[in-house]
Amino acid sequence: MKALRNDIDERLQVEAARQDPAQFAELYENNFERVYAYIAHRVPNREEAQDLTAEVFHQALASLRGFEWRGRPFAAWLLGIASNVLSDRWRRVIGQAEVATEDVGQAGIEDPVEQRAMLYQLVDRLPADQRQVIRLRFVAEKTLREIATQLGRSEGAIKQLQWRALQNLREQLRSNHG
Amino acid sequence: MASLSLADQLDDAIEMMMAQPNSAPPKMDLNIGELLGIAAELRLIPDPEFKVALKAQLLGAGPALPVVVHTIARPGGNISPGDTNLPRVVLPTLFGVDGGNYPLQRTNFALSMAMHAALIVVVVLATLRAGKAVHPVGSAHSVLLTYASPYLLPPSIHESRGGGGGGDRDKLAESAGRLPRVEQEQITPPAVVLRNEHPKLVAEPTVIGPPELTVPPTSQIGNPLSAILERPSNGPGFGGGIGSANGGGIGSGDGAGVGSGHGGGAGGGTFRVGAGVSAPRAIYDPDPDYSEEARKAKYQGTVLLWLVVGADGKPRDIRVQRSAGMGLDEKAIEAVRQWKFEPAMKDGQPVAVQVNIEVSFHLY
Repeated sequence: MKALRNDIDERLQVEAARQDPAQFAELYENNFERVYAYIAHRVPNREEAQDLTAEVFHQALASLRGFEWRGRPFAAWLLGIASNVLSDRWRRVIGQAEVATEDVGQAGIEDPVEQRAMLYQLVDRLPADQRQVIRLRFVAEKTLREIATQLGRSEGAIKQLQWRALQNLREQLRSNHG
Repeated sequence: MASLSLADQLDDAIEMMMAQPNSAPPKMDLNIGELLGIAAELRLIPDPEFKVALKAQLLGAGPALPVVVHTIARPGGNISPGDTNLPRVVLPTLFGVDGGNYPLQRTNFALSMAMHAALIVVVVLATLRAGKAVHPVGSAHSVLLTYASPYLLPPSIHESRGGGGGGDRDKLAESAGRLPRVEQEQITPPAVVLRNEHPKLVAEPTVIGPPELTVPPTSQIGNPLSAILERPSNGPGFGGGIGSANGGGIGSGDGAGVGSGHGGGAGGGTFRVGAGVSAPRAIYDPDPDYSEEARKAKYQGTVLLWLVVGADGKPRDIRVQRSAGMGLDEKAIEAVRQWKFEPAMKDGQPVAVQVNIEVSFHLY
């Protein structure tokens, strides 16, 4: 019943965005992490992942009027675009299409992509100090000492925050899967 | 303390994973292994700044993404995606702030700067060189000279000052006689032989000419230049008057004047501007091009053209009265030939007049 309601909601969101591109925001918020997670593990670095993610959403917004609802989730359509974008990227880099597209199933999205997307979203729900440490550690790629200096706290305190943050994320993932 | 020890182990493993992402993880506690797996997934976690910027760009409210804007956290403060009070630095990696999220490439930057500077120098030098090689730009200015001076008197056979003629298609040439009174307008054309003995409105016959031209009253009207005395005749012309052409005048010209010219007046040629004849007005007067020969020689000059502006407003009989040479005369004629005029008017009727046009060619 919940899945059906989600389908209806998403369909309404797509219809609204087709009429008014400003309504694309909600679809973007719901699918950003998913698209990024799909791409990020297929390219060598964050910068390239961001570039391709941006390209996917730009293409999606440009061709939204041509989107037809056929029962598949909107995310599957987005990941189809992402798959093409990655293929083009590989064709440019090494002259052949090499990207694996098995994650984009006809019925929906495979688990690894969903799990990563969920993980990225869970970071946003961490307590502020833990979230800050996680972002400085993994986005800014700082050492604990650099984070401690930047935040004016002890290195031990930062280490504990990192530990608790990762534990929190594990508990959240388990509860979501359970 | 136990958890601190585990936290140490975890951070060491994370540090190793960050330094060598593709290396196999060391043997460790299962608990730590699970957390390290999560940390490995977080290694490519999206930058929240990028997410916000992309959304703004998609919805048409954000800057272009390639402008990298990083947030620097304040010591002791918390970062959140919505915190807009944080200081922002443009291109932090270039200037070495923010610890360097990715390696600085100052050599590349310096090379790029040098190439851009060289390009700018080349563009400036090419522009200066091109500026020197350019031929001077030529322009021409044309002035219509209407000669609004009175007619020269007395009528001369050597100079053109208008004329007229007429007749009633008699087989004989017009007979000799004197001129009728000269007026600015004509109601009745002169005639030697009156075809209508009892006109409804009686008016004195006149010819059109300048007020300075006065003739003594006479009862024997005719063409003063005719030698025929025996038989009265209005001449083989038509349109009334006396003579061999047409119009209401006397002589071999056209119009209501006297002589071989046309448009009124006396003395031959075209009726000129002044004394009741308005000036023609140029309504389309393109300036001529500069001749290539004069431009290369950096030659300037003025061409004076003589021409007739017909009753139809078109120029004709264009002649060079004062030449400038170097191909400028031809350019002036070519341009003036395209001119269009509102014709000169005499008594409400368009008449042909002669005018001069002065065309000045300048370089700058």
